[in-house]
Amino acid sequence: MPQVTERPKPFLFPEFCKGCGRCISVCQKHSIHFADHINARTGVVPIEIDLDTCNACGLCMDACPEPYGLIGRPVDATDWELEDPSHLFGHRPTTAPVPVDIPDQRVALPACEPLVVKGNYAAAIGALLAGCRHFFGYPITPSTEGAELMASLMPKLQGVFLQAVSEVATVNHMYGAASAGQRSMTFTSSPGFSLMLEGISYMIGAELPGVFVNIMRGGPGLGNIAPEQTDIKLACRGLGHGNTHALVFAPSTPQEMLDMTMRAFDLSFRYRNPVVILGDGYLGQMTGRVMLPRDMVKPGIPAWAVWGDAMHRRNLTSSIMLAETDLEQHNEHLNRKYEAMKVEAMADTFVCDDAEIIVVACNTPARMAKGAVQELRHMGVKAGLFRPQTLWPFPVDAFLPLLAHARRIVMVEASPGQLEDELRLALSRADVRTYPPISSVQHFGGILPQQHEIVTRIMDLPAGSHAQAVSGSEVLA
Amino acid sequence: MSSTVFYDRFERHSHGEGLKGQSTHYCAGCGHGLAHKYLAEAIDALGIQDQTVAVSPVGCSVFLYYYFDVGNTQAAHGRAPAVAIGHKVANPESIVVSYQGDGDLASIGLAEIVATAQLGLPITVIFVNNAIYGMTGGQMAPTTLMQQKTSSSPYGRDMYMGQPMKMAELIAGLDGPVYVERVALFDAKQRNRARKAIKKGLQLQVEKRGFSFVEVLAECPTHLKMTPEQAESWVREKMLPVFPLGVKKDETRDAWYAPPTPNYEPQALLGAIGGSTEALPRYCSSYPAHIAAHDISLKLAGSGGDGAQTAAMLLARAGINEGFDATHIPSYGPESRGGTSYADIHIAAEEVLSPASPHPHVLIAFNAPSLTKFASTVREGGTILYDSSVIDAPPPMPDGVTAYGVPMTRIAADLGKPLVKNIVALGALQAATGLFPVDTFLTAIRQALKDKCAMIPLNEEAFEWGRQSIAPRTN
Ligand code: SF4
Ligand code: SF4
Ligand code: SF4
Repeated sequence: MPQVTERPKPFLFPEFCKGCGRCISVCQKHSIHFADHINARTGVVPIEIDLDTCNACGLCMDACPEPYGLIGRPVDATDWELEDPSHLFGHRPTTAPVPVDIPDQRVALPACEPLVVKGNYAAAIGALLAGCRHFFGYPITPSTEGAELMASLMPKLQGVFLQAVSEVATVNHMYGAASAGQRSMTFTSSPGFSLMLEGISYMIGAELPGVFVNIMRGGPGLGNIAPEQTDIKLACRGLGHGNTHALVFAPSTPQEMLDMTMRAFDLSFRYRNPVVILGDGYLGQMTGRVMLPRDMVKPGIPAWAVWGDAMHRRNLTSSIMLAETDLEQHNEHLNRKYEAMKVEAMADTFVCDDAEIIVVACNTPARMAKGAVQELRHMGVKAGLFRPQTLWPFPVDAFLPLLAHARRIVMVEASPGQLEDELRLALSRADVRTYPPISSVQHFGGILPQQHEIVTRIMDLPAGSHAQAVSGSEVLA
Repeated sequence: MSSTVFYDRFERHSHGEGLKGQSTHYCAGCGHGLAHKYLAEAIDALGIQDQTVAVSPVGCSVFLYYYFDVGNTQAAHGRAPAVAIGHKVANPESIVVSYQGDGDLASIGLAEIVATAQLGLPITVIFVNNAIYGMTGGQMAPTTLMQQKTSSSPYGRDMYMGQPMKMAELIAGLDGPVYVERVALFDAKQRNRARKAIKKGLQLQVEKRGFSFVEVLAECPTHLKMTPEQAESWVREKMLPVFPLGVKKDETRDAWYAPPTPNYEPQALLGAIGGSTEALPRYCSSYPAHIAAHDISLKLAGSGGDGAQTAAMLLARAGINEGFDATHIPSYGPESRGGTSYADIHIAAEEVLSPASPHPHVLIAFNAPSLTKFASTVREGGTILYDSSVIDAPPPMPDGVTAYGVPMTRIAADLGKPLVKNIVALGALQAATGLFPVDTFLTAIRQALKDKCAMIPLNEEAFEWGRQSIAPRTN
């Protein structure tokens, strides 16, 4: 009497056999052997099974590395091995549902008195208002207070503060949290930002959002911990390998630290791209008046998130595009995004309408420059300040009209010309071939250009750069 | 039938065309396929397909996401555990698996795996150790055996190349993990153990007990240049003596991972950041233009314990409470650790432009070096206040500057609390310059001490004594 068994005997589509033979050695019944022919579709010699000697022990199936290699033949099946494999295994790659967006909500805040906080704190508060409840970071001066504030506030809001083992780990925690569709951020400073660039490139490739507040300090190398602006190049031109760009904001007051950080989250999710906020060590430490916005954000979960539930099961976060045409298409898509980001370019101007000397500065040096411009105006010098608030994209459209009356451009920066490079590149890309000579006031050891230096530099410019108002105070009086 | 945790068709494998729609990209006889199979079975058996997020590494298993019908994230080389943490804390209900090879985990990602294991969040790591780099073409791995020839150790691994990394033992030595086991795939018995270990690793995560790590000794027939059968024997004969199988750690730990749900209530947020809807009273009738028309700059300088920064913060706060703009910027970094502490303050009618105070209207110096350093920077018509209890021989003061010696330390000591000398200084500042009315200062002080109410009377007294040191009360 034949033994009735519930255990299935093995079954194999020869085209899914790689001919490794791992099933052969495991079969105690010697029921498996290599076929005497090469499979025409695969070019390998598959195995064959002698079902008559097989006792359905199942060991061969456990030994087969291929998901659709040796599988159990349903006991009650008749003839089904004759079906087309794609039919047998289904047409749809997955049964997971199509995910939909769970939208963000704006929640009204009551009118509040201004806060009196330092720039680093303001950025942290901006992130909380933007609905960020996941902070990852590695302590580094002069950005650490931002992280410390998060360490004290996140537990009060049932959020996550995680001190990473390195900046490399930090950016990858952010990659994971962003992949899950959550709003995350970090505070870092120049050497730490360098370490994050690999991860930022991956985030851009995989189209993941995240906000990086880089409180720039002196470099290269360990440099020092005093304020500098020498990561402009990195943020605007060097976000890791490959075709990368991100919006780069340059706040110059604690208020802007809050506002821009909040905005950074929205834009980061709108474009599915990281956003960088460049501050300088001085701004991070500077305490000032900060008004709270009218509403805060309660974030949802975007449709693309790999959240870890049924609805998001079919999603994939990846920056791999193996086929050249796939990668090219992906980069074209990224380029379109970068192009679209250009509407986010922002600049602030101060008495530029008739300015013959355009002072260009961002971050804290822009405040020194603003003081200098005011002083120069009192002296009758037609100076004005152009302050890019986004460094990438450079707000060149706002700059071009100023060239009509400009006789000289004066760059004020705590870097050896990185902002100037951005300006020159933007002018070049805008096909502006002639523009006034560019002078500069630069420091790059951790010292910021001071107001009096800027005034002196401008007053020392060759004649013709500005109307020589000898008794300037009379002019203004 | 095959596990439903595998996609019905591998759409991501060359767009699912031809045989690739149902075949892996692995070489014939590769151990990865088996590890995949047992992982898929475990996900199935535990009913967690809809919760699972698999993190694909870099290496031969970079395309794990071709096959697993779960949430998928592909990570940078070695960073999968860090990415896994991001996923786990973003959604604590997700079941996160980091699947990594030996180059990824034991070489470039060593910091990430060790830190993640020690952190101990419930995450499951499947570590496939085949003693060689597969994807890049057979170079030496951190787990390559001594004398083993690879394309980057063509004469065999020797002492100059270091010895093989024993990851399971290393991870088991940490406090974070609850479960660490090394298994193999070379025969039916080992495969059965491997399948159980992978399931147990996941189970411990489902039960929120902690971090689990399963090292799988696997065959890479291609780069061992062997048949799959020979590769199985090689793992058994050569790898086992170096990488002994078995449970390396199996700790009983209660379910502990239950992080709270993030709070987005406006009131909670305002409470946390100190946002107040209550307007403070204002006492200034106008901007103190008798000191400067639009922008008053001050410098407070002393040594670390003098409280210059606190006093500066109070000044900025007072100015802002009165509806002006104000900034405070401290000296910081090694400078601030060297015992000196300077603060630049601006109070502007409209907007502070340059926040530095290279030429202040007011200098408060708490010690002699500060006074010497900054006295000459004070503007004509400006004011200097210095602590006469610690500065007996003040340097000559610049012309056109009014200087007051105030025994700040002595007054504070008389009050029984030397720390309040900065508040004494603010009182003196008020009386000497009339920067703000008395109540403006007192309001800022009370606001700063609202969580330490018991300190308020002492500080008010210190402020008053400071005032009287300049303008003694006549009544
Ligand atoms: S099920 Fe057992 S007996 Fe049958 S072919 Fe497979 S290994 Fe041999
Ligand atoms: S184990 Fe699977 S792939 Fe290998 S020979 Fe057997 S059936 Fe073919
Ligand atoms: S190279 Fe080795 S590890 Fe990679 S797929 Fe082939 S056999 Fe597997």
